[in-house]
Amino acid sequence: MRLPSQRFRRELRILIMLVLCGLLIVAVGPLVLDRYSVSILVRSFLYGSIAVTVDILWGFTGILSFGQSAFFGIGAYACGLAFDHFGISPGVALAALAAGLAVAGLVALLVAWLAFGARVSALYVSVVTLVLAIVFVQVIYAGGNFTGSSSGLSDFDTFDLSTAAWFRIAGAGLVVVTALGWIFVRSDMGSLLVSIRENETRCRYFGISVTWVKGGLLLASAIVAALAGFAYAGYNDVVAPDLGNFQFGTQLVIWVALGGRGTLIGPAIVAVLVDFVSAYLSGSLPFIWQLIIGGVFIVVIVAMPQGLGPACVAVIRRLIARPADAAPVAARLIAVPLRPTARGAQTPAIQLTGVTRSYGSLHVLEDITFSGRSGELVSLVGPNGAGKTTLIRCISDGEERTAGRVALQGCEIGRMAPERCVRLGLGRKFQAPTVFDALTVGQSLRVARSRIERLSFWRCADEIRLPEAAMRVVRATGLDTQLATTVRHLSHGAKQALELAMVLAMEPSVLMLDEPTAGLTKSERTVIGGILMELVAQHGLCILLIEHDLAFVREISSRIIVLYQGRIVLDGAVEEVASSELVRTIYTGEPQALGEPV
Amino acid sequence: MICIARSLRGFRSRILAAPVVALAMLAGGSLAPAMAQDVVKIGIPIGLSGANSVVAPSVVQAAKLAVSQINAKGGILGKKVELDVADDGSGADGAVKAFNSLILEKNVNAIITMETSAARNAGLPIVSRAKVPFIYTSSYEGRSCNRFLFVDAWVPEQQVPPIVDYFQKVKGAKTFFLVGSDYAFGRGMLAFTRKYIEAHGGKVVGEEYLPMDASDWTPVLSKLRAAHPDALISSTAGGAPNVTLTKQLRGAGIKVLFGNLGIDEGTAKAIGADATGTYMSQSYLTTLDNPQNAAFKAGLKQMFGADMKTPNDLSEPEYDGIYLYKAAVEKAGSLDPFAVVRELPKVSFLGARGLITMDKEHHAPLTMYLGQVTADGSVRVIQSFPHVDPGDQCPKFKS
Amino acid sequence: MIDLFLDIVTTAGILYVVAVGLLVVFGVLKIINFAHGGFLTIGGYAALITTELHLSPWVAPPLALVVGIVLGMVVERLIVRPLYSRPLDAILATWGLSIVVVQLITIGFGRGTQFVMSPLQGAVPLLGTSYSLYRLAMLATALIIGAAIAAILQGTRLGLTARAVIMNETLAQSLGINSALVRFVTFSVGAGLATMAGALITPLLSIDPLMGVPWLLNAFMLVMVSGTSLVSLALASLVLGGAQVVVSTYGNPILGALTIVVLAALLLRVRPAGFARA
Repeated sequence: MRLPSQRFRRELRILIMLVLCGLLIVAVGPLVLDRYSVSILVRSFLYGSIAVTVDILWGFTGILSFGQSAFFGIGAYACGLAFDHFGISPGVALAALAAGLAVAGLVALLVAWLAFGARVSALYVSVVTLVLAIVFVQVIYAGGNFTGSSSGLSDFDTFDLSTAAWFRIAGAGLVVVTALGWIFVRSDMGSLLVSIRENETRCRYFGISVTWVKGGLLLASAIVAALAGFAYAGYNDVVAPDLGNFQFGTQLVIWVALGGRGTLIGPAIVAVLVDFVSAYLSGSLPFIWQLIIGGVFIVVIVAMPQGLGPACVAVIRRLIARPADAAPVAARLIAVPLRPTARGAQTPAIQLTGVTRSYGSLHVLEDITFSGRSGELVSLVGPNGAGKTTLIRCISDGEERTAGRVALQGCEIGRMAPERCVRLGLGRKFQAPTVFDALTVGQSLRVARSRIERLSFWRCADEIRLPEAAMRVVRATGLDTQLATTVRHLSHGAKQALELAMVLAMEPSVLMLDEPTAGLTKSERTVIGGILMELVAQHGLCILLIEHDLAFVREISSRIIVLYQGRIVLDGAVEEVASSELVRTIYTGEPQALGEPV
Repeated sequence: MICIARSLRGFRSRILAAPVVALAMLAGGSLAPAMAQDVVKIGIPIGLSGANSVVAPSVVQAAKLAVSQINAKGGILGKKVELDVADDGSGADGAVKAFNSLILEKNVNAIITMETSAARNAGLPIVSRAKVPFIYTSSYEGRSCNRFLFVDAWVPEQQVPPIVDYFQKVKGAKTFFLVGSDYAFGRGMLAFTRKYIEAHGGKVVGEEYLPMDASDWTPVLSKLRAAHPDALISSTAGGAPNVTLTKQLRGAGIKVLFGNLGIDEGTAKAIGADATGTYMSQSYLTTLDNPQNAAFKAGLKQMFGADMKTPNDLSEPEYDGIYLYKAAVEKAGSLDPFAVVRELPKVSFLGARGLITMDKEHHAPLTMYLGQVTADGSVRVIQSFPHVDPGDQCPKFKS
Repeated sequence: MIDLFLDIVTTAGILYVVAVGLLVVFGVLKIINFAHGGFLTIGGYAALITTELHLSPWVAPPLALVVGIVLGMVVERLIVRPLYSRPLDAILATWGLSIVVVQLITIGFGRGTQFVMSPLQGAVPLLGTSYSLYRLAMLATALIIGAAIAAILQGTRLGLTARAVIMNETLAQSLGINSALVRFVTFSVGAGLATMAGALITPLLSIDPLMGVPWLLNAFMLVMVSGTSLVSLALASLVLGGAQVVVSTYGNPILGALTIVVLAALLLRVRPAGFARA
């Protein structure tokens, strides 16, 4: 097992080599290429940089933006408008650049505010960015003589730089953006982006402000795009509404898909190549060329969603049997003690008062009132459809309940989003194992702990600190030997255990578990039961457990609450509930009812 | 590959060669050294797609006719003339690509074309940088001044007065409504029109613009109807917007005196019955009765047969422009851009529109015709205005 | 005032005709067909062919409908079916298809703008004003199409199964409904409605290879706010189309062009269900 930092050092050497190589090509390019190629490649390089940002947004984080072109356009118009109306001077250029980046940034934040709010569909960000590009074009149209309307602006005084100089600037920009992007996506922060793509809800329940992460990412990519746009206008001496339209935005997405989403290098290369070749072919066979691009795009999307780049790499890998570079990479696990938490012994860890959830006239939960203290393991039982999972949702997401109050550690959750409830000490494990398929076990654990230990933007930590309880789950289920394994390849039981370990890693003080042992072996189940009891007894957690295995419940619970048709029908000590006639009646027809373990 | 080897000689490391060669391969055949100049290349960046797509084919035909005639008579300075046509998408962004491709890749000796104002403005910096003579053969809003730019078509000062004068004096129109495509030509023409109307005692009761590529005029027509003007004057991009405006205007049942600054005979034909009664002011009409026009039309007919596009006020100047360039090159005795630019204002060509000389600050005095579209789609000449001066377009070029 | 009213209702009618095919596909397949604009364009060129063959302009819409249904079958089988489980990718692949359509049309018909014959010319006197006959006919067409789809959904076996799939696909499948067939038929019909809409709108406008794009965007936004309901779509067309006309007439036509997309985007932010269940 190699440590991330060892891999990082090795890869950094290669990266530096590649960067130097890239810079060298960029430096000598104008000497060996003809004027036309140089002049075209300036543009292609700028497009390549934006394609990289689109890949980080879409390929890694899952934000499909059709409007990245609008930020490019904003940057371009900042340059064009300033130079056209005020002439060129260093002051004007700097002010224009600052203004362009500021406007692009503000627009990005507006888009983020609109698109990444809670409860909007994943498609909505695509809708908003599409609208952004349309609005951009129409705003330019509406600008009359100021923006040049549909004519755009041209022939303004611009930077006195040769085409070769622009070639080097744009080329170096592309190399730097790609290299920085590459470091970023391979860092711990990069794992977080993937985890957002894989399962945004799970991220929110790790207390990660997904909205802020996505917003920040959009902001950064908007600024890169605006910079590229500024350079484009300065170089070409022309700005036109087409620069920001949604066709260009879509074209960027096409390049990324062709190059391979989530590969960075692929999109950058494809963007440069396609734009460059287009320029040559647009004279002789423009339609055929576009036709080929369109056709290949369809085939790639339908048949190889990975993109052309990875497909080629796979073929090359197969042809050249490289000496196995198979040493798995994963961070070390370090056990740490739970952080001491200041919690008043008096206030209940969890307090529900009159909680109700209705869909129209249908009441799924009605007037639920109970409390759980620290050091208590409360089991929620009841037949399917009794409202157990709904109840957990109402406790962990302020928007869910129709009426009533919920307090965690004495703080009302009000209408708080899950990530803020989590900050009150809540931890929630979902019913079906909810994990990040594309990450390794180690990365998953690191992401789960991001609220406590900040993630680095440029490297992977060598150590993952886990509280003792999480550590024990990991060890007991053998996950500690699979830290470098991609989660997709884990068994169902291992995924269950991983999710539990991830939830424990965030050191919650109120833990809600929805069937945590489903799919585990008997021995694993015993271990987990032991860990849960220890968390309650020694660390004073309050655990709310949904379980069907009543023998298990009986063994570890300190109290049992029985839900039936959305109401609490019984709330009492284990023996009291277990011997209740009512419970027996409710469970009639369910084979495992209070019987022996299955 | 020879030139690669030469430029690499300075580098010590051999490793360098790999990426450089790769990049060179990327550049494809573009590395071929410039061939000795034995042809004269004329570049035509033009709107094959977009707003100008209706009129562009006729312009290309006029250029092809001129070139084939010149080549048949021994070319220019004994060199064969070649045409390079590139689509500029009728817009600025496309024009940058088209001009770059023609000037940097195809190394044309001159640009002679009819384009939208947006495309012309976007191409001018490239022309200035590369120092290529540019004859602009499209009527436009005026006041585009560049050392390398010459214009052999009309500007507002030449086109607007015939229509407005006729509407005011003969038809007694008092109130005018102006409609345009939102781009330099549309706005420039209407700005002049408004000034001219107001200077002659008329009143402009509305001025509306739609984006160049817009095709739904409903809201503009509603405003027009509400304003009840005596006359409507439109200045849209050539082609599609013109047609949709006319069709929807008549479709909406609005019967108003209609002067169209952007229409030509071909478009009028394409529109069909809805164009009947529209007034236009042009420097060229197919019905002009002179030997040059007869020869021009016959030449097109012979060369293109059934595919011939109706020549028009935007295509005939292209024909003149190529001959003007030929005259200037021959007078200069070389293709040197500075020598050619020096001679361009001094040479003349007798074409279908009469004798054209771009001697007024890089612009040309022209004979203008006021016409009206008749029911069969042809244009009836109502009045002609000989030798209309373009006015002070570029005072810095005053000779 | 009468003019404004007529502008609003006829604009709504046109929008409805243009968007209904997209809505039908979205309703049943739950994917956004970005080739909708391409199908509109194909419909426009189908109308152009009838004009060039000197056929009656009345032939154009039914011809376009047939062409669209046939093409829809092919597209569903080859491109859309493999992507049912990847709705975002389906958007991209259908957008790729519309690029292909645009280029094929360009190769076949050239880049130029062209025009078709209108079956109905001129204006008719109505409510004290005279109004474009063709726009009024578009309103009537919208009502007929809406009624026809409703009749099929309510009155036929296909409609019943389609409704079952719209409401709960898993359940429908477990009841033995062949949802693949329902999807196939629906997509073809949706494509046919799109091409027919293309043929219907062209007499008002001009035809060029890119004519479908602006319509696609408006239709997309209308469907986003309408969900899967024909009634919601009618309401959305009326409200958003009306807003567009009002803004264009009393404000600025350029801002008017933005009205539909911006209002729809804001509406979705405030009320993700849009006009559905309104």
